[in-house]
Amino acid sequence: MSAIHIGDTGLFVAIGDTKNRRYHAVRTFAYRNDIGFVLPERVYDELTANRSADRTPPIDAAIDDGWVRVADPLNYTIPLVSRVMDGVQRYIANADSRPEDEIERADAALAGVAAQAFSEGTANEAYVYTTDHDAGEGIETIFASEGYGDSITYINGFRFVNDLVD
Amino acid sequence: MSRTLNQANGDLLREFLSIADLLEEPRLAQLYAYLARDGEATTQDLIEALDLPQGTAYSYVDRLVDAGVIQVVSETPPRRYAAREIELTVTTADGEREYTITPALIDAVGRRETDADIDTYIDRHGIAGLATALTYTVERERGEMSHRLMARDLDISPLAAEIILQALRPIVHEHFDIETTGGSLADIEGVDTDFDDA
Repeated sequence: MSAIHIGDTGLFVAIGDTKNRRYHAVRTFAYRNDIGFVLPERVYDELTANRSADRTPPIDAAIDDGWVRVADPLNYTIPLVSRVMDGVQRYIANADSRPEDEIERADAALAGVAAQAFSEGTANEAYVYTTDHDAGEGIETIFASEGYGDSITYINGFRFVNDLVD
Repeated sequence: MSRTLNQANGDLLREFLSIADLLEEPRLAQLYAYLARDGEATTQDLIEALDLPQGTAYSYVDRLVDAGVIQVVSETPPRRYAAREIELTVTTADGEREYTITPALIDAVGRRETDADIDTYIDRHGIAGLATALTYTVERERGEMSHRLMARDLDISPLAAEIILQALRPIVHEHFDIETTGGSLADIEGVDTDFDDA
């Protein structure tokens, strides 16, 4: 059994800077369990765009430390990848009463990275750490409809970090 | 609208101006928010809880009582005070935008001195902008909004949206009933979680 741990923007905002206790707790958790968090490219872009204007999460430091990496580009020719991505986008549009084309592909990319790992056989279990509940619930629902209900778990990024520091 | 300022209108106007004061002065907002959250307190309680100089605390309490946003609930010394519920809806002159001043918003403003993210957001988007962000935070915590949709609606970066959503989250959880969803540490299989992070 191997698992992939996929992180969304909110997780990396929640851990604070490299001096923060929460940063150290999550890093220790990753080291101790030999876990590397994987970020979709779009999530990495969100975290690092506009470095001057916003408080920039220490994502490059975490990558240099070796417990975070950016996912390979998504391969949309894999049927499961494109199906779950469309599904998640539709789910969020419904949950938030929006036209589908307003939903950012970054939410769907979290599901895409998991689907690609399943299809390529690099993981048979996936954990998605997000602070957007609609995205988390959507990803679980769509994978369940594809028959992967037991293989994917939405982890609430806030609860996860709080449990580690408590 | 009547040109005569009758008693009721006068009171309303006075209350409005005092609420405007609350939003201008984070420490006054902090004091009001403390009473709104924690119930009754004496001035001495406030001095200790909020680390206020004695003179400042007495003058703040007097101002808030005069303004009618807090009230004396027990006259026997030491006097105890409680917050009065505030809800004020402000509509812009063109009628296009509307926001509501609530204890949660006053609480958020009160935290700008100790929370750099809230302070930065108010500098950039004003109190009205913070009121909007607070509304988004409530929706997000209820699972009906994401940081990406907020960023799109308000034309800010997704990172800026996530940062203010996280800064306002504790306030939302103190003032609203929110049900938490999603797994936590215990739901991750086969990991060692028994370690000291120090």
